Amino acid sequence: MTSLEASGGKASSVRFLGRRRTYARLLARGAALLLVSLGLYRFWLMTDVRRFLWASTEIDGETLEYAGTPIELVLGFLVAVAVLVPVYAGFFVAALDLGVFGEMAGGLAFLGLGVLGQYAIYRARRYRLTRTIFRGLRFTQDGSAWVYAFRAAGWWFATAITVGLAYPFQLASLERYKMRHTFYGTLPGRFAGAGWKLLLRGVPMWLLVMAPLALTAAAFVEAVDWGALADAVGQGGDDVMARVEGGNPALGETIVFAMLMIGLSVLLAVLFYPVFQAVVLRWWTSGLRFGEIEATSSLRIRHVYGAYMRFLWWGLLFTIVLGILAVPLLIFIGILAGKMPETGAGDIAASVIGLGGYVIAALGYSTIYRATVQLSLWQLGAEALHLSRVERLDRVEARGEASSPLGEGLADALNVGGY
Amino acid sequence: MSDVTVPATTGAGVFFDGRISTRRDARVTLGARTLTIDDAEGRRLAEWPYEEIEGLPGPDGVLRLGRHGQVRLERLTITDPAFAAAIDARAANVDRSGGLQHRQQLAVVGLSFVAVATLLMVAWFGVPAVAARVAPLLPVAVERKLGAAVDVQIRSALDTKHAGAAFECGNDAGKADARAAFAKVTQRLEAAAALPQPLRFTIVHRPESNAFAIPGGQVYVFEGLIEAAHDADELAGVLAHELGHVAHRDGTRAVLQGAGLSFLFGMVLGDFVGGGAVVIAAKTVLQSSYSREVEAAADVYGVGLMQKAGGNARALAAILARIGGATEPGMKILRDHPDTRARVATIERLAPGSGGPAMLSPAEWTALRGICKG
Repeated sequence: MTSLEASGGKASSVRFLGRRRTYARLLARGAALLLVSLGLYRFWLMTDVRRFLWASTEIDGETLEYAGTPIELVLGFLVAVAVLVPVYAGFFVAALDLGVFGEMAGGLAFLGLGVLGQYAIYRARRYRLTRTIFRGLRFTQDGSAWVYAFRAAGWWFATAITVGLAYPFQLASLERYKMRHTFYGTLPGRFAGAGWKLLLRGVPMWLLVMAPLALTAAAFVEAVDWGALADAVGQGGDDVMARVEGGNPALGETIVFAMLMIGLSVLLAVLFYPVFQAVVLRWWTSGLRFGEIEATSSLRIRHVYGAYMRFLWWGLLFTIVLGILAVPLLIFIGILAGKMPETGAGDIAASVIGLGGYVIAALGYSTIYRATVQLSLWQLGAEALHLSRVERLDRVEARGEASSPLGEGLADALNVGGY
Repeated sequence: MSDVTVPATTGAGVFFDGRISTRRDARVTLGARTLTIDDAEGRRLAEWPYEEIEGLPGPDGVLRLGRHGQVRLERLTITDPAFAAAIDARAANVDRSGGLQHRQQLAVVGLSFVAVATLLMVAWFGVPAVAARVAPLLPVAVERKLGAAVDVQIRSALDTKHAGAAFECGNDAGKADARAAFAKVTQRLEAAAALPQPLRFTIVHRPESNAFAIPGGQVYVFEGLIEAAHDADELAGVLAHELGHVAHRDGTRAVLQGAGLSFLFGMVLGDFVGGGAVVIAAKTVLQSSYSREVEAAADVYGVGLMQKAGGNARALAAILARIGGATEPGMKILRDHPDTRARVATIERLAPGSGGPAMLSPAEWTALRGICKG
């Protein structure tokens, strides 16, 4: 705070006004409607969720307004389907015939849809921004979605070949692009976060997660007689495994060691994930700038852990309830299978109940996740935010208009949607 | 507190004019047909006709209003609940109680039932109809490419215990007799069928009594089927049935149907809870139900082919009755006995008497039965 006061101007913090219970009720009703409408309610639920989150976020005494409508999302989705049908059909036909191109169709489809997904992310952000109204002014976004998409694809490639080490620079670069093209009225945004700062914070976690995997790789190089292994596999036949074991007496122990190490690595990754999320969120929000207004975040890691603990607690309760409800159904299946084994009624009932149970469980856990972790990240991220020189918000002029919802539709059809 | 009892016609609000982000404390007056907004010095900021006023999403306890259909985003917020109620009573498009939203929700649920019903109709009738029209139009070369792709998947799914070549039976030098006997059966069928594409029959190490055809003329025969067959005509009967699938291009049709269904369910329903599992289940049930008619058609073709090839067409009925009709993989859920009985009855009606001499001599049949042994 001292730096803010020293820089002059009025400092202000962001408040979150929404009540947890209201949000949970909204999500629970939405989950029930998703179930009966086989998922088509998602456009309405997404709009309700955004209206709640936007309206609950107060900056310098005024709340945000989400002005999007579900019908826009449905139309965007229908247009996206119309765009994607020929694309999918083209890849399907290409996979059948057309020589070399056909052989590469799978990889090309993966690449093409990946780039299209990034394009959709940028367009969807534009839709959300132009539907965000604050003090009678819209946010807007210009810039090219295709430029963004190819940059993002290039960065994903870099992140993949560096096993994640390029990720901070990817985030910084893409965020700079997004914020450089973001405006509140005529007030231009920018992003001041530096990739290497995030890298410094993330590297200890990265090392701890990677160390067991590196040890595993070293152990394999040490223990395995690669020549003997190649011979054993190359000969083929029914007793490959026996020959593999014969040629490499240490292989069994190495595989046990590898499994333990991979388990350790996964465990560490799960434990560190909230830390990682908190670090990225704090770094990201601290880098946001609009004109002379600067944001700083005082987000605490233990608060993010608290959100996950709430998720585990409600998830556990939900699991117990599901378990209790499953008992009579299992007994019912048992009776059905016992009484009429020849008709297969037991099998059919088991499939139907299994499928229904899977859908209800998945919907339940995702709803609990949204009501606990997602809401808390939004709330914590907002409440930890301090803005300097907010008096600059008083005389911003309006600019721009609402954009098309195609990006949202594409993002939905390609499963890359956000909030 | 007098505002609560006397209907208020003036109240306080915060106004943003949509041109600039300056906050203005405003005096709001409710007239006969319009709502007027003045600043502290009494200057007129805006005048809104009631029919153009719309309620906008805001935080609890705050009424946020805007003017419909305007490029400029004028905004007025009212925090006094009594005054908010007075505005709500005058402006039709302000929905503080949420009744409008509730009705909209019900309409969405109703419409989505219609949409889901339409989707199921398309899946049930539309996709198979399109696949059936498109499959015969695909050139044989394309069908063979498709078959090659399916073949890789089939092999990796079926070949669990053995690596590489050992998965196929009869490739050893000592199995020449068995191979010759099998070729005798398949060549007679192939000659009689006279299909536009060359056929390939492969016997593989699998315990189930099963056989199936994939696009492009590739037919797989499981070791378990040869074990279950009492003579060469029973085996040939099943192979003839499978050639019915090849002739009718059922494999190609199934691949097209699968692609169509996964597109339909996967994309339109969205991944609201890892919809993948729902998609797979829906595909399995729908595709199994298509296959009843398809199986019946392949039976008719198989009987005709056996008669043309000079074999015993009733043998298919005999082996079907014995192994319970499970000639297709993944059909366990619908494998009920009445269906098999109906198929057997149809085959026996189509093939009244047994055909010519047996397709293989006892010695040849013994050799063929040993093709997977040793």
